[in-house]
Amino acid sequence: MELGKTTTMNMITGFIESTKGSIEINGYNISKKSKKAKREIGYMPETTPLYNELTPKEFVTYMAELKGISRKVKKEEVQKVLKEVNIEEVQNKLIRNLSRGYKQRVSLAGALIGNPKVLILDEPTVGLDPKQVIQIRNLIKSLGKDHTIILSSHILSEISQICEKVIIINKGNLVAIDTPENLEKTVKEEHSLLVTVEDPEGKINDVVKGINNVQEIKLIKELSDGTKQYSLISKNDTDIRKEIFEVFAKSGITIFELKRSETTLEEAFIDLIDKQKPEKENEKEKIKQEKSKDKPKQEKKENKSSKKQKGGDK
Amino acid sequence: MLAIIKKELKNYFLSPIGYVFVGLFMLVSSIFFYIFLFAQQTVQYSILFYYTSELLTFTVALLTMGMFAGERKNGTETLLFTSSRSITGIVIGKFLAALIVIIVTEIVSLLYYAILCIFAGGITDVPQTITVLIGFILLAMSYISFGGFISSLTENPIVAGIITIVLLLASWFLPDLLEIFKLLSPIEMFQSFPNGVISITDTVGLLSQTLLFTLLTITILQRRKNIK
Repeated sequence: MELGKTTTMNMITGFIESTKGSIEINGYNISKKSKKAKREIGYMPETTPLYNELTPKEFVTYMAELKGISRKVKKEEVQKVLKEVNIEEVQNKLIRNLSRGYKQRVSLAGALIGNPKVLILDEPTVGLDPKQVIQIRNLIKSLGKDHTIILSSHILSEISQICEKVIIINKGNLVAIDTPENLEKTVKEEHSLLVTVEDPEGKINDVVKGINNVQEIKLIKELSDGTKQYSLISKNDTDIRKEIFEVFAKSGITIFELKRSETTLEEAFIDLIDKQKPEKENEKEKIKQEKSKDKPKQEKKENKSSKKQKGGDK
Repeated sequence: MLAIIKKELKNYFLSPIGYVFVGLFMLVSSIFFYIFLFAQQTVQYSILFYYTSELLTFTVALLTMGMFAGERKNGTETLLFTSSRSITGIVIGKFLAALIVIIVTEIVSLLYYAILCIFAGGITDVPQTITVLIGFILLAMSYISFGGFISSLTENPIVAGIITIVLLLASWFLPDLLEIFKLLSPIEMFQSFPNGVISITDTVGLLSQTLLFTLLTITILQRRKNIK
């Protein structure tokens, strides 16, 4: 079964039924005890659907009524949520007149009402300007203290900033589940350093050969100011930074920058996806081979049956 | 369900739809009142509904076209169907909200009855007035459920509105072509009510149509959830 992120979220929230398996939210099966399960969820869809003819206060009140919040606490709850997402000052303006950032907050307020244990946010920062993105991210971070948040996003830097656990889905297949740190580690070339140097005489390769603990040196790029950036990989667990500094200084190579190379979640993501490709290709080849094995048999069968038919016709 | 009714009523009256519906209905009713009652010098209130029932064929689509198609177009159906409300509750809530708008219009049109009573010098034609009001509500129920059903089939409210009007108009003319359609046409079933007759067959017919299309709407929405 190939699923996308939004489809998965739609199934978790009970918007669509799953064809296989079961989904439980805090012990409630979404298909069998949907009413109770849905009360545990607050969902903010990707397109932030809102009723433009309502005000944020009316919208959140409507969401509270849909969630079955009792009249006694409804007003209080609505005000609490409006304050939480910081839209008190626009609560009586029509939603259609609000900026995209405010609309996103109103949608988030709708998801938050009723204090659900699980918050599902689908692409919460799409279409926002950088300032609004930072505001929404900070808001999500603060909400994460009291709620379990499932967040879907294409922006991996955002995920590494906000999330504690990452699930990577590629073309409907589960690629990885881990913390952002661990995912980054999986592709990090161990003991790798990045060094930017000025080496007018071009003797860096010879100099590095003289350092025992360096396994490999690679030129990454030549910079416009005449310096070059190299990647150095050490043989063992040893820290070669001090040695590099001393040897380069003696050899007349000026170091402009020396740092451990860091892998971002983007690089980890690309690496994991690339690793998956050969596996898939192998599977396809296997299927092809099996089919080609079966073909002669089928052809033989067909020949036999056609011969029989011909015999019958006679 | 109450939340849905409240929201739908707000939707009707925060947008021009509700006002256009009531305004158009009252305007045309006034013209009919003048032509068929005032000019004819008759005080039979039920005659007015003979003609306004035909008007309902065109105007009911205003109330029903966006019922589900609008929610789907705006993406707000996600909010509805991920809430803890059942699909049945949502469908009935929307149905009742549209019916309330028509009942309100009917109550406003009682103004004409009051005028007729003044002309007649006292309360007149009470049984016929009651039967025609009941018949009109039954007809409205049948039309709303049908319009709601059409709205659940598409995501374009305009398309839903046009299809609703075309098919309701067809239900006027088809009985002329084939006798069997008389049994299915809501407007045909309504004809006995302005005469002061509450026909069991017609009442059951209109109620069955309401139930049928409401159930079909629920099934369509439920099915869409399963095959998305």
